[in-house]
Amino acid sequence: MPDRAAAPPAGAYRARRLGRLNLEVRQSIGRVRHAAFIAFGLGVGLAISVAILLAAGVEAANIFDEFVVLTFFDRLGLSSVLIECSPLILVGLSAAVAFRVNFWNIGIEGQFFWGAIGATVIAIFDVGPPATRIGLMLVFAIVGGFLWIVPPAIFKIKLGVNEVISTLLLNYVAYQFVLNQIYGAWQDPRDRFPHSEAFDAAERLPLLGWEKVHLGLVISLVAVAFVWWLMQRSRFGVYMRFVGANPHMALAAGIPVAMTIFLAVGLSGALSGAAGFVMGAAQEHRLTGTMAAGYGFSGIMIAFLARNNPVAVLIVAFMIGGLYAAGQSVKVFYSLPQALVSLIQAIVVMCVAASDFLVRYRVHWLRGDGR
Amino acid sequence: MTVALEMSDVSKEFDGNRALDSACFRAEYGRVQALLGENGAGKSSLMNVVCGLYAPDAGRIAVDGVPVSIDGPAHARALGIGMVHQHFKLVRPFTVAENVALANRLGGRWTDELARVAETVERYCGELGFELDPASRIDSISVAERQRVEIVKVLMSGARILILDEPTAVLTDDEADRLLAVVRGLAGRGAAVVLITHKLREVHDFADRVTIMRAGRTVADEDPKTLDDRRMTELMVGSAPRSAVAARSGGGRARLEIADLSAARDDGVAALAGVTLAVQEGEIYGVAGVGGNGQTELAEVLMGVRPALHGTVSLDGEDRTAAHPGERRKGGLGTVPSDRYLYGLTADLSVAENFGLAGLAAGRYGSWWVASARMRGDTEAAIADFEIQGGGPATRSRLLSGGNAQKLVLARELSGGAGILVAHSPTRGLDVRACAAVQSQLLEARDRGAAVLLISEDLDEVLDLSDRVGVLNRGRIVGEFARPADRHAVGRLMVGHA
Repeated sequence: MPDRAAAPPAGAYRARRLGRLNLEVRQSIGRVRHAAFIAFGLGVGLAISVAILLAAGVEAANIFDEFVVLTFFDRLGLSSVLIECSPLILVGLSAAVAFRVNFWNIGIEGQFFWGAIGATVIAIFDVGPPATRIGLMLVFAIVGGFLWIVPPAIFKIKLGVNEVISTLLLNYVAYQFVLNQIYGAWQDPRDRFPHSEAFDAAERLPLLGWEKVHLGLVISLVAVAFVWWLMQRSRFGVYMRFVGANPHMALAAGIPVAMTIFLAVGLSGALSGAAGFVMGAAQEHRLTGTMAAGYGFSGIMIAFLARNNPVAVLIVAFMIGGLYAAGQSVKVFYSLPQALVSLIQAIVVMCVAASDFLVRYRVHWLRGDGR
Repeated sequence: MTVALEMSDVSKEFDGNRALDSACFRAEYGRVQALLGENGAGKSSLMNVVCGLYAPDAGRIAVDGVPVSIDGPAHARALGIGMVHQHFKLVRPFTVAENVALANRLGGRWTDELARVAETVERYCGELGFELDPASRIDSISVAERQRVEIVKVLMSGARILILDEPTAVLTDDEADRLLAVVRGLAGRGAAVVLITHKLREVHDFADRVTIMRAGRTVADEDPKTLDDRRMTELMVGSAPRSAVAARSGGGRARLEIADLSAARDDGVAALAGVTLAVQEGEIYGVAGVGGNGQTELAEVLMGVRPALHGTVSLDGEDRTAAHPGERRKGGLGTVPSDRYLYGLTADLSVAENFGLAGLAAGRYGSWWVASARMRGDTEAAIADFEIQGGGPATRSRLLSGGNAQKLVLARELSGGAGILVAHSPTRGLDVRACAAVQSQLLEARDRGAAVLLISEDLDEVLDLSDRVGVLNRGRIVGEFARPADRHAVGRLMVGHA
């Protein structure tokens, strides 16, 4: 037992001096001010993005048109945003559920692949009657994503193995397995391209009858509702909050900490698997080697910006979907490189993330020597 | 002999608690000055003032006879003051030489510098009679060796005033004797050594003078030869007026039984070495002792967050030694941990969530759809009952003051009608009013028939509240007393060499 008098008092390191700038840790922050700081970060990010687009030769008048009017207020534009955002919502939820219990799931793409693999197995081997085919594909996708995260979850809980490394490396294993299959046993016999054969009509998610928006959007919205209930309304959600915020206290208070982490992490894998299913059954209509590219980091980014809140995940995924869709059209119409589109996305995200600094610290400007 | 360090009327207050109250202290070159006192007497605070970690609110400090105002640790170092803290400040994956080099840059190319630092370390070790390999990694050497690294580090920085904060607390007897012999040798070569301790034997055997502190004040500065153990203990523990808590004879049925319990600290050092005690219904059993004798580990083993290496813990006759904390709670256990924001509360979550968690886990608020309105209502009732001020159910618990946070923990732990309560330092850091409120809750729980185990380093509290007192010394209960316990007899067992 340390003599507690030896520990510095709570306030000793609270104020950090940085030249003439004084930083103080905030004890709490109001909702309005919190939102204002995030909006400020978003504004700065957009301003920098606009400057970059102007420098790249896009006319000022067209920027607003491209990114707002043609993306969100145009039938075709909005439908492509909705299509883009369904898998984004699922991977965002996946990351949010895992992060809530402090499990850094970097393996979303691997679980995504195993979801797609699960769906593909049912599709290409025509398992079960056509009427239940698509449902069975979803179930297998969920199971595939879940199983892929079970080993890192158990290693983390039982042995303390760092999940960042284990989940990250399993991405490569999943990717190489997919390549092995699409260059080998599952290669499309029709065109000999490295992807699986195309899914039949019964193995594709039906359209909703509005442009090309498909049932994947409904699946994503149901997932949002489910995760919202689980995290915000059920007892398990309270457990998740305590386990994530203070596992020591959670254990001492009698919460089944290991089981809570396992179930939350398993759900994370299942949601990533469902995203792989949506991508395969509604967008690619087959298993491909590139279908998961970028979804892992998008999921992490969305969960981070949404502060692991499922409803906020829905909103952020919608915005990011818009950014993706607008990026695609800007790329085509102004022949801008893909790198520029990625750069803009990164800048916006970084600026919003940086606004967290203002949420956490109160900044004072000081005169004189900083005392 | 010349005076190295002289402090007069030094005061320091933390959030309304007076850690130092006009304390005085002096140390001379060529001597070992012991600084003796209970936990919280102000020893460490006083020395943290000397090494520039705390700025005193009032008082004068003179080094080598020159009045100084110590600005920070770097200034203290420049003045020749070096402290070996109780918690070593070493970087574990690095080698001994690298750690020493981090604190004492010799300049030049890094690899050459490391070689020269290693040479210097070996030279110091030769002079001091230490065995230490500069190339071994910190995490591969023993606690005693790590301490030697700290001492070499401080000496290399040119310290002539050397402060050792309870250096023998982590050592075996042999190691302690060897270390203290080295410390004597340092004084023999002219250094002023300050030895913070609460072991009387060390004061008698190794110190030239002793300063005794109690409640932030200096109560004696004497030659230890003029003080016998009894007198020293009296000065240390004082004589508080006996309070008028009605004694209770336990109902006879033992509800919490601990038999031959052993456990280790995180670093593997043995902390409990066969604790045996039983708490009956309707009594408070107080565990007295100087901090660091196994209190934390005892509380943690009982909570179920630290494994027992040996022995058993039974609740109402059922063996729960290896049970999950949730099962223990179902068995009627409530716990008030000493570190409120480690095991007691989750700072970033609301008062209602922190309060309701126990009830939630016990299934009182449903599982599919949490009855948050009912939880909020119960929280409001608890806030009123326990007079928790400074926030409502939605307030983040981080914003509560220490006393109110503690009342919140107690409210939760007692809400399920816990029949067995383990409270570790429940009033630490609380003001007088909050302290009295917490203590009266413990007494009420006892009067309702609960078995209360009170583990506290505050002797006054243990003596005031306990129906029986056990003294924990070096991981064992070395004596038991029925109310009224003899304060000085308890004090002697606390600081004695068990």
